[in-house]
Amino acid sequence: MKVNTIIILIVAILSAVSVPLLAKGNQLTCSGSTTVLPVAQATAEAFMDKNPDINISVRGGGSGVGVAALQNKTVDIANSSRSMKSKEIAACKAKGINPTPYAIANDGISIVVHKNNKVSNLTVAQIKGIYTGKIKNWKEVGGASMPIVIISRDVASGTFEVFNEKALSGSKVEGAAQLLASNNAVVTAVTSTPGAIGYAGLGYVNENVNVVPVNNITPSESTVKNGTYPLSRKLYMYTNGKAKGVVASYLSFIQSAEGQAMVKESGFITLN
Amino acid sequence: MKLKSFVKLTICAGLLALPIASNALETKLSGEFWGRWINETAKKKDAAGAYTDKMVKNYFSLERGYFGLETKFSESTKGRFTIDIFSTDATHEYQAYTLSDSSQVALPVEPSSLTSSAKTGSLDGAGLKIKYAYVDFANLTPIPDLTLTVGMQKTFFGTIYDWNYSLIGKAPTDEYKVANSSDLGVTLNGYIPKGFGEYAFGVYNGEGYKKVGASLKENTSFAYLANLRLNPIPGVTVGGSYMTNTVGRDKALDGEAVNKAYEEQALMDAVVRLAYGPADVWAEYISKDVTYPEETSSSKTQEYTATGISIFPTISLKEYVGYDIQLLGRYDTWDESDRIDADKAQSYLTATTLGANYNFLHDETANPAMQLQLNYTTKKYDEEKSHSDFADGMKDVSQINLQLKWRFANTIN
Repeated sequence: MKVNTIIILIVAILSAVSVPLLAKGNQLTCSGSTTVLPVAQATAEAFMDKNPDINISVRGGGSGVGVAALQNKTVDIANSSRSMKSKEIAACKAKGINPTPYAIANDGISIVVHKNNKVSNLTVAQIKGIYTGKIKNWKEVGGASMPIVIISRDVASGTFEVFNEKALSGSKVEGAAQLLASNNAVVTAVTSTPGAIGYAGLGYVNENVNVVPVNNITPSESTVKNGTYPLSRKLYMYTNGKAKGVVASYLSFIQSAEGQAMVKESGFITLN
Repeated sequence: MKLKSFVKLTICAGLLALPIASNALETKLSGEFWGRWINETAKKKDAAGAYTDKMVKNYFSLERGYFGLETKFSESTKGRFTIDIFSTDATHEYQAYTLSDSSQVALPVEPSSLTSSAKTGSLDGAGLKIKYAYVDFANLTPIPDLTLTVGMQKTFFGTIYDWNYSLIGKAPTDEYKVANSSDLGVTLNGYIPKGFGEYAFGVYNGEGYKKVGASLKENTSFAYLANLRLNPIPGVTVGGSYMTNTVGRDKALDGEAVNKAYEEQALMDAVVRLAYGPADVWAEYISKDVTYPEETSSSKTQEYTATGISIFPTISLKEYVGYDIQLLGRYDTWDESDRIDADKAQSYLTATTLGANYNFLHDETANPAMQLQLNYTTKKYDEEKSHSDFADGMKDVSQINLQLKWRFANTIN
């Protein structure tokens, strides 16, 4: 077979399959970050109430799972609590996927300790010292004499990746740390462990734990929005190219005043 | 099991255990195994010297088994160790053979024809090689996404470093012995911000991970590599690789005797990939310039350029039929007709493959744990452009491969 014949054959095949793959009716799927999950679930339910003919399936799994699913063309939206990496974007582009970020909320990764722990502040350096095992007792950072129990997220978590970058500068977490699979699990573990320290998205923090200021700054709407809180970040939903149709409508809803009110109800910080 | 095999396995097991013992941040245990049925027909000479079709191969094999560990020592330091296990009745090892005119040529050989001095591996069990054993150091410089990789690692050349065996055949540069899929070396590799591409610069031994004993390169020159891939727009990838390498020593270590088989190679590769919807097409152009600076005889090839083209389209039917089925094709030419007429390695090969994959047991990111592959391949040597002896024993080959590939990956925290 000559090269020309092969080229013609390929062009013919490409033409045959170039009918755009339209969205599967009114079925929309999103998966990824467990931090984004409560916002996605709440807004999806409200959006479906308003649009009964639309069905949105929301799953967790972690930011890395969502990004991989977008790359494999199995979801319409990848939820991520971190920006996509150059490697991930390159892999998507090579497959014809154009990952496009939509910011849906602001968040501050909150440092949480047991309710009875009276530590009033931690510096980023102290947090790094604790998580890398150099600081082992609360008395070294102004607390009671009590061994520190380190609780962290599993490494597939976007929250872990942002925490690791911003608080640990890429250092290795102490080997004895408990690695848990969700924000909820971290908060629950800290609640029941007097010497524990953990971190979670603002939306998961409750009255059963103490939030410790970082560099004397408490995560709040103003400190997260103006970026003075050291562990602030944005939460994203990624689509393949500019969102269209049902996906665009859903994202517009999340970014609307009504959707942002749900972001606030979920405990996160609104975009504006 | 012989003592040597036992020692090898013990060493490998020890290396595999290192990341766990070092209390790594995260350790991923992964494996991939290919069980294959091969049926091959080729033209063989009969008693009268005429070529007739004969069945050459018809057997099951564990063609490949990769077993490895990837470990994160920190967010910026990762290690990977992978061993390559294969059944020795299907190793397809290549040996350098001296022909009657004293020229050398690389030919695939049947295990039965190996002499004891030419063995490349044990014939009494599984073959075992170290495929990867490297450490990645990221964030060493202010350049974002730049990694220093040290050890037995991928060769960032052409498509060989991210060839995922959607078709059963090897990457073109691997198939035609232009580059090795893995080699010992040091590379700087990274990604261009915003996903606009990737690059690599490297220094390697230049002999690959399969060479052992007497077939080692026996020289002191490294191979040098540069690779660039760009994704200017989603769905379009263009790239190029360049590598210089040598084979053998130009002069004997003792004395000044020249080695006429000493090669200097300049290797180039250009890649284009187009992905749109369910269609994905790779096209690759390869050029291999070889000179024999110590060869002075006009009856021998003193330099030649081999070129190759490979076109590799894939269509996913998943959106149309609901099952994860792919149809694949591949068309290759490999042209070594630039060698002089008297050179028995002079050849021009055309190969065509048609295939289908059925992927099943997907994980949560839609990556399949199992893949059933069926490929039909024909290879033809152009009689006018090939030396009459070259294709002896492998003229006009047709091959059916049915393969079940299964893989797993689990993370141990």
